[in-house]
Amino acid sequence: MDSCSLVEKEIDKVLTKFSFVSDQTDRQLNELINYAEKLITDLAEAPEDEELSVAQSLMLTQYIKKAKDGSSKVAAEHRDLHGAVSKVGKAVDRNFTQDFGVVNKDGTFCGLDRPDLVNQVICQHFFRQGLLDIGETLIREAGVDIDVNSKEPFFEMNRILEALSKGDLQPALKWAQENRFKLRENHSSLEFKLHRLQFISLLHGGPQKQSEILQYARNFEPFAAQHEKDVQQLMGSLLYINTGIESSPYAYLLKPVQWADICDVYTRDACALLGLSVESPLTLSINAGCKALPALLNIKQVMQQRQCTDVWSNKDELPVEVNLGPEYRFHSIFACPILRQQSTDHNPPVRLICGHIISKEALFKLSNGNKVKCPYCPVEQSAADAKEVHF
Amino acid sequence: MDLKALEHPTLKVPYEVLNKKFRSAQKNIDREMSRVHTDLDELEKKLLDKPTTVGDVSRILTSVVDKLNAMKRKAAESIGDELDAARVTKRRTDHLREYDTKDQNLQTLWRKKRLDRILVEYFLRCGYYDTALKLAKHSRIEDLTNLDIFLVAKEVEESLSNHETAQCLAWCYDNKSKLRKLKSNLEFKLRQQEFIELVRKNKRLEAVGHARKYFVNLEDNQMFSVQKAMGLLAFPPETEVSSYKEMLDLSRWQLLVKEFRSENFKLYQLNNYSVFTVTLQAGLSSLKTPQCYHEDTKNADCPVCSQYLNDLASKLPFAHCSQSRLVCHMSGHPLNEHDHPMMLPNGYVYGENSLVKMATENSGKIMCPRTKQMFSLTDLEKVFVM
Repeated sequence: MDSCSLVEKEIDKVLTKFSFVSDQTDRQLNELINYAEKLITDLAEAPEDEELSVAQSLMLTQYIKKAKDGSSKVAAEHRDLHGAVSKVGKAVDRNFTQDFGVVNKDGTFCGLDRPDLVNQVICQHFFRQGLLDIGETLIREAGVDIDVNSKEPFFEMNRILEALSKGDLQPALKWAQENRFKLRENHSSLEFKLHRLQFISLLHGGPQKQSEILQYARNFEPFAAQHEKDVQQLMGSLLYINTGIESSPYAYLLKPVQWADICDVYTRDACALLGLSVESPLTLSINAGCKALPALLNIKQVMQQRQCTDVWSNKDELPVEVNLGPEYRFHSIFACPILRQQSTDHNPPVRLICGHIISKEALFKLSNGNKVKCPYCPVEQSAADAKEVHF
Repeated sequence: MDLKALEHPTLKVPYEVLNKKFRSAQKNIDREMSRVHTDLDELEKKLLDKPTTVGDVSRILTSVVDKLNAMKRKAAESIGDELDAARVTKRRTDHLREYDTKDQNLQTLWRKKRLDRILVEYFLRCGYYDTALKLAKHSRIEDLTNLDIFLVAKEVEESLSNHETAQCLAWCYDNKSKLRKLKSNLEFKLRQQEFIELVRKNKRLEAVGHARKYFVNLEDNQMFSVQKAMGLLAFPPETEVSSYKEMLDLSRWQLLVKEFRSENFKLYQLNNYSVFTVTLQAGLSSLKTPQCYHEDTKNADCPVCSQYLNDLASKLPFAHCSQSRLVCHMSGHPLNEHDHPMMLPNGYVYGENSLVKMATENSGKIMCPRTKQMFSLTDLEKVFVM
């Protein structure tokens, strides 16, 4: 954040200096104006066609010089501010990268040959977030050819989420019941959690609602096997309904965090069902890009400085590893520890008898006739015994 | 760190606006000052020109006071403008500094704003002005984006598309000094187009008059194109003769739009490509693995595996990896000492935790999700990835 602070320093200087000059200017010009007005008042004491006295003439001459100097000074003081202004620009240029076309040769990342695909992705991104209005505007302005049906799942999700945020569990329950089978396949406990929340909200009703609550508890029946403990706890809370659950060991049930969680659980399960990712692909890609660009800029700078721009001659791979963190790891990557190359279709990973995994090419390189010795442990085997693995 | 790479336009543009305001403020102050001086000179002359009456002097002094007041007003106004521009810049640095926080939630919100900022800029560059406005309003990022500049540009571009030169010429006048520094040809090209339009309407005498007025003091290459244009006088508007037909073509207006857009960007030190394009593709590249293009290893959570981005990323370079990092295909969780990678007899590897979980729910039997073959828990073998 030093970059920001450095620029901010210059801007603060500009603000101070300009305010100061503004006050100065006002003061100086007021002084000149007041003096002139005083002169006018003095002169008004005499009749118009009377000649000027020598004293008055002298005062006027003095005033002329004073006014000329004063007004020129005002203009000059303003002109001097330019230094402070240009320092801001220089600070920005020094601390922030202007041109990242320098990132890649041939401008790989600068052009977009399929803007229509990008616009589709952006549309989906807006629909996911419930920004239906903005999505529709984009469709109109960009002429995006969107499949009407693809919008529907997002609209429904947003409807349900909105209801959930207002405390209305019904739409979500209805959806969960309709998709009970698939949810169960995915090991989702959404329906039970929704019933649980509904039960808890009924608890707020107090002892008068007891029979209603008990009646509602029947809904737990299909889930009793899998969520035995939870059901027991919920029923246990009824013991305290007369004395107040807030002061009972079951007070945690009433905490609002349960509601925040349910939106999350619903989103995850709904997305899993629809085969969608939970997080918008656009968000993930842009965040990844924001992490990757500085690394790429760095390497390009180094390459240019050392004049070895051919290092990135293999256009199939980025020239540098970008560590995005575990949240961005969606696929297994195997890099052979011996040859330091990523596995490909022609060079898959293989498992030796001892369990160590190396690449097929490494296996060939290490083979002596048909014998191969594992580089990590003293186990020997024949090359044919190595088994191809899939991650 | 990400800030340094991406936020140059965020700060440079309000700086250029400040610069522009400074120049016009200086011009205003100088002009008012010279008016004051003119009056003072008149007063001086009057004093030397005896006899001088009280009345004469009073009159001039009153005028001096008026001019001083005007100067005061103009100076206050101009400096006020400059301070506003500086404050806009400050608001942006303030926003950028908010990124430096340990609070995860705040960071996520900041990133969301950043995505919206990047999208707004992309929409503005594409000409999707309504979408840009709506998004900026929704995210409350109006003063963090360069909406104003693009909206002014939009008006000029629309007028050019309507075959009008007046607004663009006014813009050129407004930015005269900077355009001169950039050695811009835009104004010349506009005058040329006006000439062509006069010829199109068969107003040839007017065209010649126009040429006399505007095609003076030309550079060599400009002279060359003027000579070509003058040749147009000899042809009727419907001419089929090769290079003259092109000159009369209406598509020249679109070229003017492009030229204007490019000059506008240069004025504010903006690049010709959008941050969005570069960031998106850099991001896709850093996520792209060969598995994204194999049916049985696609992952619904991976952006590169998703429908449209898969297509888009196909021509981009793959991510570079020098270290193995394994992920369980069943759970999506990383494989390490807490969750050992285990191999089934068919060569497919999964995490121990997921395999054990599957076995306990299925009375010791395991089904490989990708090949559907059945195995038992005892068939597992350990693998070691260095």
